[in-house]
Amino acid sequence: MRYGNESSMRYATLRWVVICVFALLAGRLCYIQLIDTRYKEMATSNIIRRVVQYPSRGEVLDRRGEYLVQSRECYDVMVVSKDIPREGFDTLRMASILEISPERLRSQLEKAARYPRAPFLVTNYVSQQAKLAFDECYFKGFYTVFRTARQYPRKIGGNLLGYVGEVSENDLKRWPYYSAGDYIGVGGVESAYEVELRGRKGVKVETTDTHGAIKGSYMDGAFDTLPVNGRRLVSTIDARLQAFAEELMVGKVGAVVAIEPSTGEILVMASSPTYDPDELVGRQRGNHYMALQENVQQPLFNRAVKAKYPPGSTFKLVQGLIGMQEGVLRPGDTHPCHEGFTVGNRKVKCHSHRSPVDLRDAVATSCNAYFCYVFRDIISNPKYGSVKRGLEVWHEYVESFGFGRTLDSDFIGEGQGNVPSTEDYDRMYNSRWNWGTPISLSIGQGEMGCTPLQMANLAAIVANRGYYYIPHIVKQIEGRDSIDARFYERQYTKVESRYFEPIVEGMWRGVNVWGTSRNAALPGLDVCGKTGTAQNPHGRDHSTFLSFAPKDNPRIAISVYVENGGFGATIALPIASLIEELYLTDTICRPEMVRYVKDHVVYYPYYDKLRAKKERK
Amino acid sequence: MFDSSQEGLFAGIDKVALLLYVLLVAVGFVCITAASYDDTIESMFSSSHFYMKQLMWIGISWLAALVLLLIDEKYFHMWAYPLYLLGIASLVAVLLFGREVNGAKAWFEFGGVRIQPVEFVKIATSLTLARVMSAYSFSISRPSDVAKVAAVILLPLSIIILQNDTGSGVVLCSLLFVLYREGLSRALCMPIVLVVFLFIFSFILEPLPLFLILLAALTLYSAARSGAWAAHVRFLSFTLLVSLLLAVATPLSGYAALMIVCGVEAVALAAAAIQNKAYELLWLTVMFVGAMIFVPTTDYIFDHVLKPHQQDRVLSFVGMKSDPLGIDYNVNQSQIAIGSGGVAGKGFLQGTQIKYNFVPEKHTDFIFCTLGEEWGFVGTMAVLGLFIALIMRLMKMGERIKEPFGRIYCYCVASILLFHVLVNVGMTIGLMPVMGIPLPLMSYGGSSLVAFTILIIIAIRLDASTKHEGSML
Repeated sequence: MRYGNESSMRYATLRWVVICVFALLAGRLCYIQLIDTRYKEMATSNIIRRVVQYPSRGEVLDRRGEYLVQSRECYDVMVVSKDIPREGFDTLRMASILEISPERLRSQLEKAARYPRAPFLVTNYVSQQAKLAFDECYFKGFYTVFRTARQYPRKIGGNLLGYVGEVSENDLKRWPYYSAGDYIGVGGVESAYEVELRGRKGVKVETTDTHGAIKGSYMDGAFDTLPVNGRRLVSTIDARLQAFAEELMVGKVGAVVAIEPSTGEILVMASSPTYDPDELVGRQRGNHYMALQENVQQPLFNRAVKAKYPPGSTFKLVQGLIGMQEGVLRPGDTHPCHEGFTVGNRKVKCHSHRSPVDLRDAVATSCNAYFCYVFRDIISNPKYGSVKRGLEVWHEYVESFGFGRTLDSDFIGEGQGNVPSTEDYDRMYNSRWNWGTPISLSIGQGEMGCTPLQMANLAAIVANRGYYYIPHIVKQIEGRDSIDARFYERQYTKVESRYFEPIVEGMWRGVNVWGTSRNAALPGLDVCGKTGTAQNPHGRDHSTFLSFAPKDNPRIAISVYVENGGFGATIALPIASLIEELYLTDTICRPEMVRYVKDHVVYYPYYDKLRAKKERK
Repeated sequence: MFDSSQEGLFAGIDKVALLLYVLLVAVGFVCITAASYDDTIESMFSSSHFYMKQLMWIGISWLAALVLLLIDEKYFHMWAYPLYLLGIASLVAVLLFGREVNGAKAWFEFGGVRIQPVEFVKIATSLTLARVMSAYSFSISRPSDVAKVAAVILLPLSIIILQNDTGSGVVLCSLLFVLYREGLSRALCMPIVLVVFLFIFSFILEPLPLFLILLAALTLYSAARSGAWAAHVRFLSFTLLVSLLLAVATPLSGYAALMIVCGVEAVALAAAAIQNKAYELLWLTVMFVGAMIFVPTTDYIFDHVLKPHQQDRVLSFVGMKSDPLGIDYNVNQSQIAIGSGGVAGKGFLQGTQIKYNFVPEKHTDFIFCTLGEEWGFVGTMAVLGLFIALIMRLMKMGERIKEPFGRIYCYCVASILLFHVLVNVGMTIGLMPVMGIPLPLMSYGGSSLVAFTILIIIAIRLDASTKHEGSML
């Protein structure tokens, strides 16, 4: 039916279409294969090699412009196995230039030979001088790649700064930016600001002749991209203070965190024991890392943001504040203390001091009983009908102070601490519990756990009378106008500003009039402080001290925590006080106190036992 | 002529087409071997080589071919619709649950074997198109029937484009070839061809050469239709001359000058066409003006309105894969490989460009590079010869089949093959953008080989039964 003239004409047209298409392809093939000889030249003389151009990693300064981390030039030596001349080369000479053993070099070359065409890393961290000597020898098949290594002029802040390691399998899967052998920040500032610090890799496409000698850049660099160097960071840390804190903490296990209350900038973050960050750079990195990991005191664990410590008496500040906001406590209320507080068959003990006391004196003398009353009144407040609901309300308050959750600081892996909820008690006591059950929370014991950062943040909250800025470690990023917006926002607690005055007053009295913190007084600086002595299952009480100064317009808020250090006033207080003194007066007028702190020996039977156990294994 | 009892399974089948098919698969296998041969793997026959896997796929394809040759041809007609529905369902499924490879979500993975449903959808769409268009009541000049045909093609096409596999989707546009054969009006064919042309070439050509080609093509077409060659040549040279003068005499760029001259001419032509009731000329003019507006507009939007990441997305949408060295790198390397082959090539396994991994996807989409480098101009011409012979043979088979179903189907196969060859070979030699579609029968890949085998064998089977009946009479 459609077999008309039209159909056969269309058939013919389509045949012409097919012929035209093939003529087009054949014509172009004829041109590039027969006529244009350019391609032949390119193929025979140009073998292309892509060399990754590594950027220099961003450096980190302290708040006064002193270097915390520097980038030092170093080189990777690579080999393409098939390009090594058949007659071989002087391996002994190369090994001595590269400062590796000839055996190591030979084993690396054997490994490289398994993938004859792939670039293989012979050795890394080759110094600039060694690289120059290496280049002079012109070993065929080998080439060097510019990298940067970290260097720590003050050797401080290991956990705070983190370190740089090779990317893991997981990183490679997660981030397409990286390829095997790249470096990546691990922990601390290095990992939190990885993207800013690392910059962007570039690539240089080079043409080489068949012997592997570089002839020049491919197509005049049309495919090259320049590396973009990492951004320089200005950290909030005060290097002098950090070094001093680490020095004072030698031999002690614990953490020191100091914050500038008016900004949330972290001035000091020392986790003890620490390590020399330079040890985690270079060829010996692996060995040092293993040794640090074997250490039972866990120097690689950043206690300042990850540890979970009972806050002890320092937590009484929060208790008093909640009581006042809830209307169950007025600053003038007095409670008697008969060396403790008894509920059922449990007794919360207290030391001997005058009785009865009001709120200010209770803070100054750190009376346990007083805050048991306060806590009881908060959670069994008739307005909530049940203790359970009362505890829930209390929990909300505590959370607003930054406890039991992360503070959303710029630290990756920040700990949450622990504030037990009603569900926890239901689980533990099979739903049968009353106001007396969680009573140890009133003095920051029991199931309470806080990170030293959270405690320092509490000091900042009290210093600010009711709000804080999220603590952060970086204050300026090169090329950016500002850091993340969240660090500029005031975070209010659920307690109004006016209730803070009696608490501040109590903390001031404890230091300057009479109480547990007398040794922290600095003439003319109106230091406020609160000691804490936290019971724990690992031996002697933990010693902790929370402080800020001056009382009005505070410039520093600090928390010191020393595991098994005894009373708060024993060791945590002098450490905190000395750091405050250095920060606020730029000098140390109490050398005997420095000597006392350094000579003070804290015993760690718990870690000793762990070590013994490990050695037995 | 043929004695069916003696020939058995191969009764009446077109041996030329079958031979062409076998030769192409064989050449493909040789090239895959060269492209994937890795001298660091000890055993030549280790199953980790791509060519050993391809051997397995060839076996599976031939098994499928045998089965198809045994099936009565009426079943192809019967199964067309169910297969089509199944195809659409699998496309939707892959869109939802599929695996993403090279940015296109177009693969199913079963225990390490990847299957690309798109390849099989081509078969189902061809069969369905053949069945729809061969229906007794079907008429290509009726708008509702044209709409039906458009729906059959555009439904899978749009799903494939959603999978970000634009290259495979555009393949279905080649079925226009079939529609033209079946009598679709020229007035409809031309703009579709124009749109596809602009879509493909606006990515590799600058606006000026694109216009010159367009202007030349349309003028030639008009000349061929009207027969007034001299007038058209005069028109063309006048246009170019005036534009050139304008560009030299004024600060206008050549492109702007050409645009102005063409614009004025277009208005004059349109007026003359309306006066003389020359509607075809009017139609051509309108299309040309449309293209004149379309190209710079899209270019402007792409360069100035879209942000860099959106540009990347558009490029990856049209299948130009993002490559750290830039899009040109692949094409450049592949041209170096093919160009360096020269007249006779470097010989089997001797290609340096292939061996040193300069050519990406050298065993799949860029298999033609291996052929060009190792077998030279002789090799590429031989393979193009095999393809053109196979395509022409399929068209011839279509013409000699009495029922429209068989004819339309054969044309479908021919057009799909033609498009694949044009785009795939075209991209390796820098004539086409990189669209990521395989070279039929030659590229490594199970889905593609099996699907093209089925596609071609069904055509051979349909043709065989017609002739068989013919000989009975």
